[in-house]
Amino acid sequence: MDARTHLATEQPARSRPGHDRPLLDYALGRPYDEMFEADGTPRAHAAALLDTLTGLPPEELVRRQQACEQSFLHQGITFTVYGHEDATEKIIPTDLLPRIIPGREWDRLEAGLRQRLTALNLFLKDVYNDGRILNAGVVPRDLVYGSKHYLRQMRGVPVPLDAYVNVCGTDIIRGEDGALLVLEDNLRVPSGVSYMLANREVVKRAFPDLYRACSVRPIEHYGQELLATLRELAIGFRDDPRIVLLTPGIFNSAYYEHAFLARQMGIDLVEGRDLLVHDNMVYMRTTSGVKRVDVIYRRIDDDFIDPLAFRRDSALGVPGLMNAYRAGNVVIANTIGTGVADDKAVYSYVPEIIRYYLGEEPLLPIVETFRCREPAALSHVLANLDTLVVKAVGESGGYGMLVGPHATAAEREAFGAKVRANPDNYIAQPTIQLSTSPCLVGTGIEARHVDLRPYILTGRNTRLVPGALTRVALKRGSLVVNSSQGGGSKDTWVVG
Amino acid sequence: MMDTGMLSRVADSLYWMARYLERAEHTARILAVKLEAILDQTPEDAAQSWLRVSGALAWPMTPLADSQRAGLARTFTLDRAHPSSIVTSIRLARDNARQVREMISTEMWAQLNRLYLRVNAATFEHDWNRQQVAVLRSLCDEMLLFAGITDSTMRHGEGWHFIQLGRHIERAQLVSRLLDLHFGALPADVPQDLRPPQYADWITLLKQCTAFEAYCKVYKADVEPKRIAEFLIFDPQFPHSIRFAVDRVQEELGLLGAGGVAGKRAVAERQAGRLKASLDYGQVDELLAGDIDGFLRSIQTGCKSIHQSVYDAFIGYSVDELLPG
Repeated sequence: MDARTHLATEQPARSRPGHDRPLLDYALGRPYDEMFEADGTPRAHAAALLDTLTGLPPEELVRRQQACEQSFLHQGITFTVYGHEDATEKIIPTDLLPRIIPGREWDRLEAGLRQRLTALNLFLKDVYNDGRILNAGVVPRDLVYGSKHYLRQMRGVPVPLDAYVNVCGTDIIRGEDGALLVLEDNLRVPSGVSYMLANREVVKRAFPDLYRACSVRPIEHYGQELLATLRELAIGFRDDPRIVLLTPGIFNSAYYEHAFLARQMGIDLVEGRDLLVHDNMVYMRTTSGVKRVDVIYRRIDDDFIDPLAFRRDSALGVPGLMNAYRAGNVVIANTIGTGVADDKAVYSYVPEIIRYYLGEEPLLPIVETFRCREPAALSHVLANLDTLVVKAVGESGGYGMLVGPHATAAEREAFGAKVRANPDNYIAQPTIQLSTSPCLVGTGIEARHVDLRPYILTGRNTRLVPGALTRVALKRGSLVVNSSQGGGSKDTWVVG
Repeated sequence: MMDTGMLSRVADSLYWMARYLERAEHTARILAVKLEAILDQTPEDAAQSWLRVSGALAWPMTPLADSQRAGLARTFTLDRAHPSSIVTSIRLARDNARQVREMISTEMWAQLNRLYLRVNAATFEHDWNRQQVAVLRSLCDEMLLFAGITDSTMRHGEGWHFIQLGRHIERAQLVSRLLDLHFGALPADVPQDLRPPQYADWITLLKQCTAFEAYCKVYKADVEPKRIAEFLIFDPQFPHSIRFAVDRVQEELGLLGAGGVAGKRAVAERQAGRLKASLDYGQVDELLAGDIDGFLRSIQTGCKSIHQSVYDAFIGYSVDELLPG
């Protein structure tokens, strides 16, 4: 049955965006909306959610949102804000209303992500060994070797199962035509998966009936899948390898997540000071003496992981770890040096990378990207700073970028000068109006821009749980979803 | 599966988490009982017994004005700058728990975090001003609830044993200090005209150790200092007696891991065994006739030595001699 017929016969009084409470301030515009078609009729997969939202008194929605925030606060899903006298804890902003993705669309996305990760792992193996793709001229040699994330210490080092990227968080956005595009890959130490799981827990509690009625695909087994992945990497080690999660410690903004994942997997959460390297073996200090460690799921950046090999001022890492790794005595996941493949300039070559290694057409499109290293692209970028988003290639987290349409003339001028001075360091993309999704704002429901970060695990096999972190730009009209820039998150339901 | 040794840093944090919570609970109970007791006392008696409270909570013993007395309870409850106020102890317990988030159950964390958020909320001081005793009592309840949640949601493995160890070392020290101020010779810094404890003070002492009802079950309601000393020092079955706490310390030590360095663990066990023997075979008559003061202080120094030996054996050991090759 067509969704609209269904609507006309059974739900004659369905609220319309921009007309009725609680959707009075719901703006449909150029961006694709996750809940409504352009003419304001609800999308088929979102109709049940809409009915639930409009069927509840606004105070009740607010009450449930508060219950959900309370739960985050009690669980300690917070970050600390330091004032002049005291430190107060604020929760990571979360929105109660789930973002819904139809199952068939998810399946296509999943296939595209598997293909992408397969190719990226082959690329990493290649650039740290033979460099065939560079010899073939598919990817410029200086782009790879000149990247600050290319680590010579990794050249020729064997990597278990050739799986360089074991945990990947790829950012997906939806363009104005509704197509899903890859915005960037996070191949180093992607975070946020605990919010995916925490959001699910509170939203299930807030909308139990709706959750059941929608046949949402479960994601709660993420911890087991991650553990299985880490176990697979310990080939040639003991039958029951000791696996630990290495955290920078409680002052890290993702510490909640590190503790959460360690608990979900039942593994030890260690800090650098708990580990020591002796004779190229890694040990941890326990109440029964020192114990050998086989696999380290590390949540410390490359630069900080071993003060002997990388930054000497790092107090977070483990001296000698890199040598133990090169000797094959410990597995580190993700492998060191994977950042060379999520560089924003390399990103623009991923379609070619997929074709080169797999002989397939990419299943997931990327955003049109102008490489400022190419003279024609550079002049195009400089002439169109007011419509483009310009990004420094080695940065992430929303830092080092210019959102042209939202910048002042002076900001554009200043950024343009930086680009001109060092064009190799920049790429530019058209400003994409991210899709919008309903969010609870005050007592009403309004549209806010969102993206999508699924997590892809790679050991012997590639695994995904059918879900993702949906990040939300909480400020009306804002396109920046990064948590470091005031973004929040919401649960993501893959239905059917 | 057998425990194969837990992270030393984690064991340390669990141990301290338990010590700080025991301290906070003890402080809250002492203050709550005291604030109730002064309602029945003359201002003079009340002032005298406040000196004991401040001594038990390690506050310089000087005569107190009425305004300071109110200040004392406030300081030991709310003062964030005071190293052993309730608010400080709860914060330190929670800081330690946060270090070991993956080792304690979600239920434990949620309870401790709720408690922390409650005493740090802007409204807490206002609540305390209105209903001091009720607030202190409910803090005790919250900490007892945490202990219950710990018992029923955490695996009783090595981590749990470190929690029990910390809790009971702290308890043995706190109770022996409290008793020292009732039975011992007056320390030099006490006003020497401090009167011996009165009837009301003995009742208060029992209640501060949650012992009034249990004591009455054993000795009927005959409130006699000798019996009180016997009960709070030597009773093998009452959880706030020194002997009970030391028994647990000795028992928990035997259930910890092998220790980092051979021999160091045995030192701690020997110290605990000696302390236990002095309580197993001690007699109240002898004590009261002899040096009860020295005895109670030997409990405190004994606990300090055990603490140091545990640290040397399990937490802060040197790794050089352990590594192969």
